[in-house]
This record gives sequence, C-alpha cells and structure tokens, in this order.
Amino acid sequence: MVETLNYTFAAREPVAQRAHVGVVASGNCEILLEPAEGASASVLVRTSVNGFAPTWAAVLDRFFARHPVAVNLQINDFGATPAVVAMRLEQVLEHAR
Amino acid sequence: MSRGAEWFAHVGAGGTPVAGLPASVRAADTTIDGVPVRVVAVVRDPGARFPRARQGEVGIDEGFALARAVRGTPPGSAILAIVDVPGQAFGVREEAIGLQRALAASAQAYVQMRRGGHPVLALVVGKAISGAFLAHGLQAGWIGAIDDAAVEVHVMSKPAVARVTRMDEADLVRIAREVPATARDIETFARFGAVDELFPAGVAPEAVVAALAPALRDGRGLRNPVARLAYPGAVQTRALAREVRARLQEAWDA
Amino acid sequence: MIALAESFAERSARERARGLLDPGTARELIDPFERVESPYLAAQGVVPQSDDGVVVMRGTLGGVRACVVATDGRFLGGSIGEIGGAKIAGALELTLRDAERGTPTRLVLALDTGGIRLQEANLAILAVSEIADAITALRAKQPVVALVAGRVGVYGGLSLCTSLCSAILVTEGARIGLNGPDVIETEAGVEELDASDLPLVWRITGGKRRFEQGFATELVRDDVDAIRAAVVRAFEEPRELPPLEMPAIPEGYAP
Repeated sequence: MVETLNYTFAAREPVAQRAHVGVVASGNCEILLEPAEGASASVLVRTSVNGFAPTWAAVLDRFFARHPVAVNLQINDFGATPAVVAMRLEQVLEHAR
Repeated sequence: MSRGAEWFAHVGAGGTPVAGLPASVRAADTTIDGVPVRVVAVVRDPGARFPRARQGEVGIDEGFALARAVRGTPPGSAILAIVDVPGQAFGVREEAIGLQRALAASAQAYVQMRRGGHPVLALVVGKAISGAFLAHGLQAGWIGAIDDAAVEVHVMSKPAVARVTRMDEADLVRIAREVPATARDIETFARFGAVDELFPAGVAPEAVVAALAPALRDGRGLRNPVARLAYPGAVQTRALAREVRARLQEAWDA
Repeated sequence: MIALAESFAERSARERARGLLDPGTARELIDPFERVESPYLAAQGVVPQSDDGVVVMRGTLGGVRACVVATDGRFLGGSIGEIGGAKIAGALELTLRDAERGTPTRLVLALDTGGIRLQEANLAILAVSEIADAITALRAKQPVVALVAGRVGVYGGLSLCTSLCSAILVTEGARIGLNGPDVIETEAGVEELDASDLPLVWRITGGKRRFEQGFATELVRDDVDAIRAAVVRAFEEPRELPPLEMPAIPEGYAP
C-alpha cells in the first residue's frame, strides 16, 4: 500500500530556487523541493513502507529545526532509512541554495 | 490444430502457399472479396529445430521467416497477420543467437511494407503475447479480435508476474479490475482503442471475412500505430499519452 | 597523470542525458516539477517517480540540434510505462517531423531498461509498437543511435526496438537480450539457464559479445568523455548495423 503523510512546520528562511534529488529505488527516495510562500513549510511523503509515521516526523522535525526553510517538499519513498532520508534532505537543500 | 492454424485455413483457403518457409510459419497469397492478400500465421511445429519454439512461439526461425514472408508480399497485395502466439521463445540458444533481432526483423518488415503502401491487418484469434505480438500483429493498421477466453493479450505469464511484482495471484486479479492496463483479456485490451473490431465468441469465419473486406479497401490498414491515440475508443484511455506528446511538442523548440 | 575515468553507468539518467549534450545546452522537457507521473502505480503499492523513469533533454550534440532520451534503470528496473513510453515515442515523432521539415535533430536513445512495465502492460505494449514504428520511419532519413551503457542493459520489447536502430553503442557492462536470465530460468528451468551464473550470462548477452557478433556498431569504455565522443562520431561518421537477417549460429548453440 502507498501511505501518504503530511506535515507542516514553521519556517522563516527563504530559498532561492527549486531542486530535485534522488530516485524511487529500493532503499532510496526522491525529493522535490519548491520555495514556499509565507512562513511555513509543508511536506508530503508518499511511501510504500507503511507504519513509520513517527520516524518520518522525527527526521523531518530534526531537519526543520536545523533549517527552518520556507519550502514545499514532496518525498517519494521506497524504503529509505532515516539516515538516507536525512542525507537526501540535506542534499536537496544544498541544491536549492 | 491451433487457433492460428485453424483461422489460417479459414481465411487462406484456396490461396497459393508461399514456399521456402519453416513449418511454423504459414503464408499464402489469396483474395478476399477480390482484394489480393498475403495471409501470414505462426503455428505449432513440434518438429521445429529449436526445442523452445515448438508450441507456436515466435523464435529465431519464426522471426526471420515472418520477415521474409512479409517482405515477399506481391505488389498491390495487402497483408493479413493471423495472430495466435503464446509468446517469444524462452531459451539460452535464442539469447545467444539474438532473438531480439529476429523479432525486430519481423516488426521492421511489417512497418516498412505498411509505410510502403501495403495495407496491414491483424486478426487476433488466440494469444497475443509480448514480443511476439510486437513482431507479428501490433504493426497492423487495422486490428480485429475474437472476444473469447482463449484470446489474451499480455506481456508475461501469471506466475512470473506474481514473482516479479511480489503479489499473489488473488492480488493480481483484484489489480486487473482496478488497473485495466494490467488485465489480460481481450475485451479490456480493446478498451484502449487499438482494436477496430471485436467479434463475438463463436463467430463464423464467413462473418469475419466479410468484415475484413471493407477494411482491406478503405485504407485503414495503412494507419501508423500512433494514429490509435486519436481513435474514438482512445479518447479517455489514451489521454495521458496524448498529453505527454502535447507537452513535448510545446517545449521542443521553446 | 592519467585522469580517472568517470563512469557513465553510475550516473543517473538525468546526468547521463545532460552529459551527452554539449555543455550548457541541455534543457529537460517535462521535468520532474511538472509531476507527470504514473496514475496506475499507487493502486499497486508502488510509489511513482516524478519523471516516470524517462528523461527527455533537448540541446546540441557536436554543435547540431539534438535530443537525448534516457531511461532510469533504477526505477522499477527501468521498465517502460505509459508516460515513459509516450516520452520516447513522442521524442521520436518530433524528430521525424524535424527531419521532414529539413531541420534535422540528432536523436540518441540512452536505454537502460528491463522492458515493458508489468504494472502498465497494455498501455506500455501499445507505446512500444509506436516506438518501433517511429524508429523504423526515422531511420530511413537519418541515423538513430542507441546507447546501451547502463547497469540493466536492454531487454524485452525495448531490445526489439534497439535492434531497429541504425547504430548501437554498447559497453562491456551492459547486456542486450530479449528475455532476462531470471525469466528464462523461470519459464524453461535451471537446466536451460542458471540465472545465477553471471559470467555465462555476460558471455552470451554482454556488450563485448554483442559487439563481436556484429550486433553493436561500437564497443565503448564506461567513461563519460569516451561515450560522448563516440556518440558524436556516430552521427558524424555513421556506421550501420548489418541487415536483420539470420546470423551465424555461435558455436555450442546450434539447435
């Protein structure tokens, strides 16, 4: 089943441009980043590995705490570990700056 | 007798056989309602030299022989593919010799003859599977099919699909209902607009031949595969394929 | 100091396409942000990829207008669905139109694909028939260059299409076959082929073997610069594959 998760975060830093990283391959994920209007960030996660909502929340919390960026993220996931997701988040943000 | 052999006999009756083909590929020059047609079919040959191509599969010999039969079509003659092919031959010899080229030879022959002005029609009377259907049938400008349970269109056997997608067969049945693109029956395939005429199960050969006659004359056999996107039956089911093309075209020289 | 080769096979489809085109000229058509993704996969428990595993880029190649279509072997084995199939067919059809208008576009198909996507079978097989037709029509007017240089290689209906191209550039690491070794083992038994015998699989279907058989026009090193140069050469000094006819049967494989 494909599980869909939605998160929002307060944000204050703008980003310059959109960015895209990754691939929907086993153990991996794809992230599309687009600048957001206003002072919040939204994240849409679609994953084929179900039941990890708290883990996603934790990884995303940590990311936005470190980088309160006003972005809309779409994550297409095929079982990436928290470490891989965290790496992809850092990577996509770097491309956007 | 396989469906393919049976229908080849119905439609090609009285025709002049084409010489120089292996026993698994039948071709004959006949007329349908006065229109010259070369009828071509792949049939079972239990004595075929490649052990993995004895049940009507399109293997090395069949692919190249289809190409020869199609290319040898006399000027002014249409081509009718009788399609009953359970698939492409699965074998190590086939891979070593290059089965992809044998199938390509047949597909190329159909394309070039059709684009060269020979109407190409296909009549699906049995299985139409994967690479075999791409090589023999899918390059037709007009496709007819019989709507019965022995007529299937798909790309891989059920157990293999189940293994690759890690689904069990019950899942696949449910998915076939929810996602028609995965269904294996001809009626669902026809919903994608590529089948010009679906004949009822048990249709008499005379009725099929009668339907072929106008199709042979009116130029539908000359249409290229991309034209199917605009067929009435494709309005909804092929909308996304049309949209992709429209976006590409808009952006191509932007 | 010898420069280290940069592997083409390790690049993503997007990077492969960009790397083939002249620097600074690459422009993706229907990029990920347009979100033209498969509507059929979620119902089958599969998360779609934003580009559906096929990337189309326009630009120039050797200074001449060009298009590179690259399939992503990492998404569902590079398998072709409705959208990816339409991207490939559409690019070929537009290239054919350019040829007919007298503004030819160099077309490269960088294929890394296991074939038709099972989850979209009926739509994909129709798309592949369009691709086969378009390649054959285009080839009558100009070279149609296939580059098989990825980790999957080409199989299935896309291998049939590759064989319709005028030229095939292949690396040793890539394979060109019709049925994959797992499929042969499943359908015909392990006595027919032991799919785990990788050296055997490469001896039969690997790029080097296919080049020796005359089924590829050039064997290239897995290096971005070498591949780019070979692709440009494929247009400037075109070689043609031999006609599609019964080949010599390799020793040991006679029926």
